[in-house]
Amino acid sequence: MPDSAPILTKQDMARCIGRLAESIRDSCPGDELALVGIYRRGVPLAERVFTLLKSHYQSLLLGRVDITLYRDDLKNLEMMPKLVGSDIPFDLDSKHVILFDEVIYTGRTSRAGLDELLDHGRPKQVQIAALIDRGGRELPIHADFVGEKLQVAPHQRISVCFEEVDGEDAVYVREGGRR
Amino acid sequence: MNKQRLFKGGDIASEDSAKLQRGDVLVEGTRITRVAPNLIAPPDCEVIDCTGKIILPALFDVHVHAREPGQEQKENIRACSEAAINGGVTGFVMMPNTLPAIDNAGVVKTVLESAARCRIPIYTSGAITKGREGKELAAIGAMKAAGAVMITDDGFPVANPVVLRRAMEYARDFGLIVASHCETMDLSGKGAMHEGSVSYSLGLEGIPAISEEICLDRDIRIAQYTGAHIHIQHVTTARGMNTIRRFKEEGVKVTCEVSPHHLIFNHEDVGDYDTNYKMNPPLRTREDNAALLQGLVDGIFDVIATDHAPHTPFEKNNDFASAPFGITGLETALPSLHHYFISKVKLGWDLLVRRYSAEPRRLLGHKAVPVIEGGAAEFIVFDPNADTVFDRDFIKSKSVNTPFLDKSMRGRVDMVIHAGDLLLLR
Amino acid sequence: MTPRKDLLDIQSLTDEELDFILTNAVPFKNLFKRSVKKVPTLRGRTVLTLFYEPSTRTRSSFEVAASRLSADVINFSVNTSSVVKGESVLDTISTLEAMRTDYVVVRHGMSGIPNLIARNTTASVINAGDGFHAHPTQALLDVFTLKEVFGGDLRGSRIAFIGDIQHSRVARSTNLLCRRMGMSTAMLAPGSLIPRDTPPEIAAFTNWDQVFAWKPDVIYLLRVQMERQNVPFIPSIGEYHRIYGLTDERLKRVRDSGIYVMHPGPVNRGVELNDSVMTYERCLINQQVENGIAVRMSVLYWLKPGSVEGTGS
Repeated sequence: MPDSAPILTKQDMARCIGRLAESIRDSCPGDELALVGIYRRGVPLAERVFTLLKSHYQSLLLGRVDITLYRDDLKNLEMMPKLVGSDIPFDLDSKHVILFDEVIYTGRTSRAGLDELLDHGRPKQVQIAALIDRGGRELPIHADFVGEKLQVAPHQRISVCFEEVDGEDAVYVREGGRR
Repeated sequence: MNKQRLFKGGDIASEDSAKLQRGDVLVEGTRITRVAPNLIAPPDCEVIDCTGKIILPALFDVHVHAREPGQEQKENIRACSEAAINGGVTGFVMMPNTLPAIDNAGVVKTVLESAARCRIPIYTSGAITKGREGKELAAIGAMKAAGAVMITDDGFPVANPVVLRRAMEYARDFGLIVASHCETMDLSGKGAMHEGSVSYSLGLEGIPAISEEICLDRDIRIAQYTGAHIHIQHVTTARGMNTIRRFKEEGVKVTCEVSPHHLIFNHEDVGDYDTNYKMNPPLRTREDNAALLQGLVDGIFDVIATDHAPHTPFEKNNDFASAPFGITGLETALPSLHHYFISKVKLGWDLLVRRYSAEPRRLLGHKAVPVIEGGAAEFIVFDPNADTVFDRDFIKSKSVNTPFLDKSMRGRVDMVIHAGDLLLLR
Repeated sequence: MTPRKDLLDIQSLTDEELDFILTNAVPFKNLFKRSVKKVPTLRGRTVLTLFYEPSTRTRSSFEVAASRLSADVINFSVNTSSVVKGESVLDTISTLEAMRTDYVVVRHGMSGIPNLIARNTTASVINAGDGFHAHPTQALLDVFTLKEVFGGDLRGSRIAFIGDIQHSRVARSTNLLCRRMGMSTAMLAPGSLIPRDTPPEIAAFTNWDQVFAWKPDVIYLLRVQMERQNVPFIPSIGEYHRIYGLTDERLKRVRDSGIYVMHPGPVNRGVELNDSVMTYERCLINQQVENGIAVRMSVLYWLKPGSVEGTGS
């Protein structure tokens, strides 16, 4: 339910994702590359990038992490969320992993994703990719690949919509709360 | 000295008429001197407005555990008598399962001394056997001489039929009623509630209905054989009730009682192991509720009796199997019977008066106390439109182990008049 | 779904809660394939096991489940040799309150003890078996196992419980949950071990031929209690085994019909079953044990300690 005009349209989003894929391709030439999306909207993001890059690599791997069990705010939740579970259908050891999140903000989601990832195995290198970086880090986490940088007020929320999940591709700035 | 009091505007209940009679009641001293519609108050007479309320003979309970001596943490005679007054009961019979048991003349005298300090008359039963152990006869003659009005090992049956036979043969000649708690202990085992679908799903050991029914049948047969007057306490099953009906038709001297909780509740009410629904005999089935109520209407039950059985919160806040049997009843009986049955026209006021006032008194050889000219001033004023909330402040018993705790019932005992004295005015 | 403090029985679980627990158990089980099997979810929380009946299996299953969720596990030693009544259990509980325990896993020989504890503590209480009453996590792991075997939908599948129905909390809880999952259930036991007034929808049989004729998909064997109040329920173990046990001849018929075999453990060889059952390829006993950990993790994850109004019923 778009409450205002999107800050990024479908076309803008496609451009951003393209940019993201390109920079990954440029800086990660070798094989053994694995794209892992953080559930929920990191997953379609990783899948889009996977589709764009698949032909450029001999073997490109795709996985998913559900970070619920690693969240540091579970105690504050009224109800525990339903689990989807992680799906990393390959051996992580000595892989170059790129972890995808749709928005990077405080860094807490990435921290949880990183912890979960490292409990699955021992990758050679892990990098973080985000469609949007809105600044405001609370942990020493750095995004290696960014589609777009946006400045919004602390009380605002960036909401990224994907066709697969939300029925449309668009990015909105909404009032109220963290994502 | 008692002054004159005029209870004006109430409707009078009696055991002889299903219809309430409009009437003002004038009390002088310990007697009722006038009963008529629209009485003019004599000069200096206190006039008490009873408009919309019901005046009925005061209640009498033949089955009460006052816990004195020995278990005063649960209840004592004084508190128990105040609980009785709070419920409109102006006399009751104590059970002998105290510590020590009331099984000799000395203990009978002791409890009657305590009872004499209360505002209402209190009677006691004595044990059938020493220490209620079912082995040797207690001092039945001596207890009778000291004032005991019936004998019973209540809480237990007399398991050995030979002992029961001797007791009945002996008590018969003293004119003592032998009251029976009917239970076949081996069949009850460690049972904590009625054996049935609920005991199954709660995983509790059950007390089968046959445990009660077999003993009930046996005890009446022994009474029939010996010629004693047997009184069957707290009947809970339709089959047991029908056994009594049959023996009554044969002319056996058998009387029996039903308790309000066995009419109102059944085993499904135990719910989440609520120990305020644990008593012995246990709550049976919904079908038994209906049959017992019909039995009360049909006159199979001679009396209603509460089996008032106080226990401390500490004792009741236990797992269901370990918690003691018993719930209190003196204060809740009338409002709950009104709430569930009288207000819904399933029971008439005449029946209530007969079974919870007149017949219990007659069972002990006393006169009934109808609200009539020249009668004893022994009645209560009941407001059928007010509610009673049974919270800790309301309850006068030392214990609060009742399913009605913090619940509200339609109907309220507003006044209790005993021997012309106004014992309670709410 | 509203937060829930306690798991005391199967009856009080809503369909939504059942689905939540069983669905989440799948990702929990998948954790066991990782090199690190532990997640930090309950870090800093304390799980206390309070077993008034000896049970190494259930207790260690809960302990493994709790430690895989990073909770601190305290094994509270209580006397298991005599029956401890509710009032003494409550004394223990008030001690535990002072230790600020978040979860109490309790097993007790008397029915309703977990309910009593739940009413008297802010900690989450998990019933690990009470008297003849309930064993909800066993029922959940059994149904989880059945869903793995039969591919999710259990409607129309048939399970027969064989053994001491009267004194089995497993028969109560698992049977109830199987029926909720749309399964048909049956029972076979000597008449003295069949309770009165069991739900009429459970088919009651008196011999194995009737059970086979009913064409069960699963046979669930139960342990047998020999006597109470010094009065035996059955004449002898030998007679029980011959008439009601899963003997080698019956196992052959079970194998020929492709029937699965379950048991809550520990088994009594020579009583309800024979040794050969343990190597039968459709014996699910070990799978039940592994799934027990995942399901118990899911239960610990679901419950919310400290919500004062305990479990509704």
